[in-house]
Amino acid sequence: MIRRGIRRWFHLALRRRDQWEREVEDEIKLHLTLRAEQLTAQGASPNEAFDEAVRRFGTLAESRARLIDAARHREAHMQRTEYLSDLRQDLSFAIRTLRRDKGWTTVTILTLTLGIGAATAVFSAVSSVLLHPVAYPDADRVVLVYQQPAKGNNTGINVTISPSAPIIRAWKTDAHLFEAVEAFGQSDMQMRTTSDWVDVHATRIGPDFASFAGVRPIVGRIFTAAELATDKRGVLLGEGLWRTRLGADPGVVGRSITLDDSTYRILGVLPATLRLPRVGASTTDVWLPLDLRNDHIGASVVARLRPGIDATHATAELDSVYARVTAALGEKATLHAFVAPPGRQVSFRDSLMLLGYAVALVLLVACANVAHLMLARASTRRRELAIRTALGAGRSRVFRQLLTESVLLAFAGGALGVFAGWLGLRAILAASPTSLPALTLAHVDYTTLGAALAITIVTSVVFGVLGAMQAGRESTNEALKSGTQRSATGRGRVRQVLVVTEMALSATLVVGASMLVRSVVNLQRANLGFEPSGLYTIRPSVPRGHFGNRAARGLFLRTLETRIASIPGVTSVTMASAPPGWWTFSIGRLEIEGRPAPPATLTEFIRVNNIQRGYFGVMRQGLVAGGEFTDTTGAAHQVIVNAGFARKQWRDESPIGKHIRIAHEGTEPWLTVVGVAADAATGGPVTGDATSPLLYTAAADSFAAALLVRTSGKGDLLQPVQALAHAIDKDATVKLLSVETGVADAIAEPRFVMLLLTLFTALALSLAAIGLYGVVGYAVSQRTREIGIRVALGAPRSRIARSVIGAGVALAISGTAIGLAIAHWGTKVIETQLYGVARSDGASFAAAAIVLVVAALIACIVPARRALAVDPMTAIRAD
Amino acid sequence: MTRLPVVKGTLDLLVLRALSWTPMHGFEIVSWLERAGGGSLELEDSALYQAVYRLEERGLLQAEWGVTENNRRARYYKITTAGRAHLRAETKNWVEYADTVTTILTAKSIP
Repeated sequence: MIRRGIRRWFHLALRRRDQWEREVEDEIKLHLTLRAEQLTAQGASPNEAFDEAVRRFGTLAESRARLIDAARHREAHMQRTEYLSDLRQDLSFAIRTLRRDKGWTTVTILTLTLGIGAATAVFSAVSSVLLHPVAYPDADRVVLVYQQPAKGNNTGINVTISPSAPIIRAWKTDAHLFEAVEAFGQSDMQMRTTSDWVDVHATRIGPDFASFAGVRPIVGRIFTAAELATDKRGVLLGEGLWRTRLGADPGVVGRSITLDDSTYRILGVLPATLRLPRVGASTTDVWLPLDLRNDHIGASVVARLRPGIDATHATAELDSVYARVTAALGEKATLHAFVAPPGRQVSFRDSLMLLGYAVALVLLVACANVAHLMLARASTRRRELAIRTALGAGRSRVFRQLLTESVLLAFAGGALGVFAGWLGLRAILAASPTSLPALTLAHVDYTTLGAALAITIVTSVVFGVLGAMQAGRESTNEALKSGTQRSATGRGRVRQVLVVTEMALSATLVVGASMLVRSVVNLQRANLGFEPSGLYTIRPSVPRGHFGNRAARGLFLRTLETRIASIPGVTSVTMASAPPGWWTFSIGRLEIEGRPAPPATLTEFIRVNNIQRGYFGVMRQGLVAGGEFTDTTGAAHQVIVNAGFARKQWRDESPIGKHIRIAHEGTEPWLTVVGVAADAATGGPVTGDATSPLLYTAAADSFAAALLVRTSGKGDLLQPVQALAHAIDKDATVKLLSVETGVADAIAEPRFVMLLLTLFTALALSLAAIGLYGVVGYAVSQRTREIGIRVALGAPRSRIARSVIGAGVALAISGTAIGLAIAHWGTKVIETQLYGVARSDGASFAAAAIVLVVAALIACIVPARRALAVDPMTAIRAD
Repeated sequence: MTRLPVVKGTLDLLVLRALSWTPMHGFEIVSWLERAGGGSLELEDSALYQAVYRLEERGLLQAEWGVTENNRRARYYKITTAGRAHLRAETKNWVEYADTVTTILTAKSIP
């Protein structure tokens, strides 16, 4: 008998409204007829009987309508119930079948989970940092505007200049290719609290900046243009500061706060969502008015292009407006404007792109693996499907069942994948270098999640159903006769192709990962030219305007230096204008005695570090020629150059005794080179600043940005230094930074990328190994009878094992060969990330080949053992 | 003879009771109720059909078209397992309730 549900499934579509309406009417008619017959039998006349029957039934039209209504309700309800019960049945059947194959189900779900999870996590990070760095309205048209020296510069780094106020004013009014031009300037200030001073990040903005960024104050209001002209003492708080320091009190408007030495009136609070359009910018604590009427200030510029305007036209217009302004001021136009979307400025861009590529490969491998697993399962189920078809299950019924299974798997994997993606993103954020604060805003990107889910679900459903249908299409007779073994070589080939693909992609990833590992090892071993461990920088800060003049600041630093030297564990102290992690420049023309002077119009950035005697000792930085300053008084005009400078200017000649000067007016005194210092990578090995030309000049302490302290102990330095600073000036605070940590932070990015890439590679490789295991295992199960016969005929077991493993390794080797070829071409994307490793690094390629073959061997162990365990008698008798 | 209106909710029970003997079509159920109740129930015939549809929707009855002794096409109703369980439970409730109400109403003294 056919199940009720199935009958309804085909039936219900036909049970249209008129049908059950007619049924209700038939039922009423029959009732009236029977009642009338009953009454006639009791002696009533036919007419009376019918009238009485109708009377007892109830008002005919009314009850008829009521009954039809009730019937409709009934039909709808039953249709729903049956649909759900069919679904429930399909699902419970699917769960049962899947649970029977626990190993297979686990591997499939795990593959889906890892693929979706990894893709979602990484693409979310990439998209939030690179694609959506700012959340401003029409963010795709928002650009940062900079200026650069038109003739370039020779510092070896990218120099950008913040446009000055007159230029910004002109751009605001005359640059018509832009919808809006806004300026902002960041600075560090100190805010007085009840007990002491705290450092706050201040940003100066114009009255329209918030609306440009698409936000409004959450409390109070923003300053108006009119107020800017008369009163510059209005301030808006950042939401973070307002919540942490002021308890989110909505009544703060009108109160005052002290920043540096001035008092400001609180006008309102700007939401935390207002962020500066610069990736990695710190959160603003206080928003102050920016007065562009002051010609002597410069500011960062962000602008929104009109729709359809490209960068070339926009820059040309900015330059022509700038030329007009400089001409009016009687100056020369020496700068070029350039515009860049905020995402372009990410130093981490290449690394993130690289991770994006890597994870795309992982997703591909995962898909290949799912396809592969689905096909493998279909071929082992041929018999089951054939039996079910033979027992009368229609093709559509079988199809529905298989679809339910695939969808169920895909959803289980998808749900876990979403969770894994969320977890993965959390992990990426936790492990991400501090230089990338924009990442902390990353959230799961729904487009990515949707795409990853769609790709994997479609793969699993398509291959699941196709594979099974293909298996089902084979002659039922054939399948039943031959059991689960033999035939199906066509599908076997598809699976081999899939495995070779997986192996190839994994090989590519292994090459990349081993290159990155080697380069991180190189970075960690790199000779920095100085000793960062035990070295600290101490940057004291006092409210601005606290010292009347430079001399007072110098005195403060000198006093602090002497007192710090007496802290136990401190071996030496010095000062520098550019301690590790800092760069300072002189702007002028570099002249070398005896060579033609550069043209007077040239302006260069020349890297200079003002140091004191003892600096090289504290740094443990060697001198490769000459010696320390013998005389630090200004009149001695002594200079030390770094090896990079010496190499650039004098090649093999000795620089000692040469004369150079930094010319502004042309009347500056000549400096005598007294020594050559070894190149020091003070910013860490990745920045490549070690060999960048640098001058060390002996200078007064008042120029020092920070104190440099060398310690021998591990004890806490911050407490005693803070106490000393406080004792000298009660308003002073100090920032203590470990140079060692700073250097480690500098390689945190490559290490982070390396870590993630290695992880993904391991993931892809395990998936590929699972795939290979599947193919080889399947081949063994297909060959059970053949192996049995061979063993029975006396073939040595070792030869059988060799043939099983050989087949697997052959697949792995062809995959690896293709993968290495791809890698040879694909390492282009990784080139910028490498340090001391060539793109064609033989060791990495060799490592990849070895890793792949070893993985293949491991994947073959279980199938080989199974082949060895074949009992000839059982194998031959099977079926 | 006074005719008693059917208390709301009890019609379902009565129908289930009727079908607990044998599957019937609508008019057979009506006739059975009239016979079993001695003709003292006041009930519009159409109300019975409504009750039957409702019970079918709840899965307490199952319907199938069949043929009467006189070769007429009729919709036959059959009680389901769920219907029997429902009948058993509700009958018990009803009897207990009726007993209690009767005891109270016919009490001769203040307890």
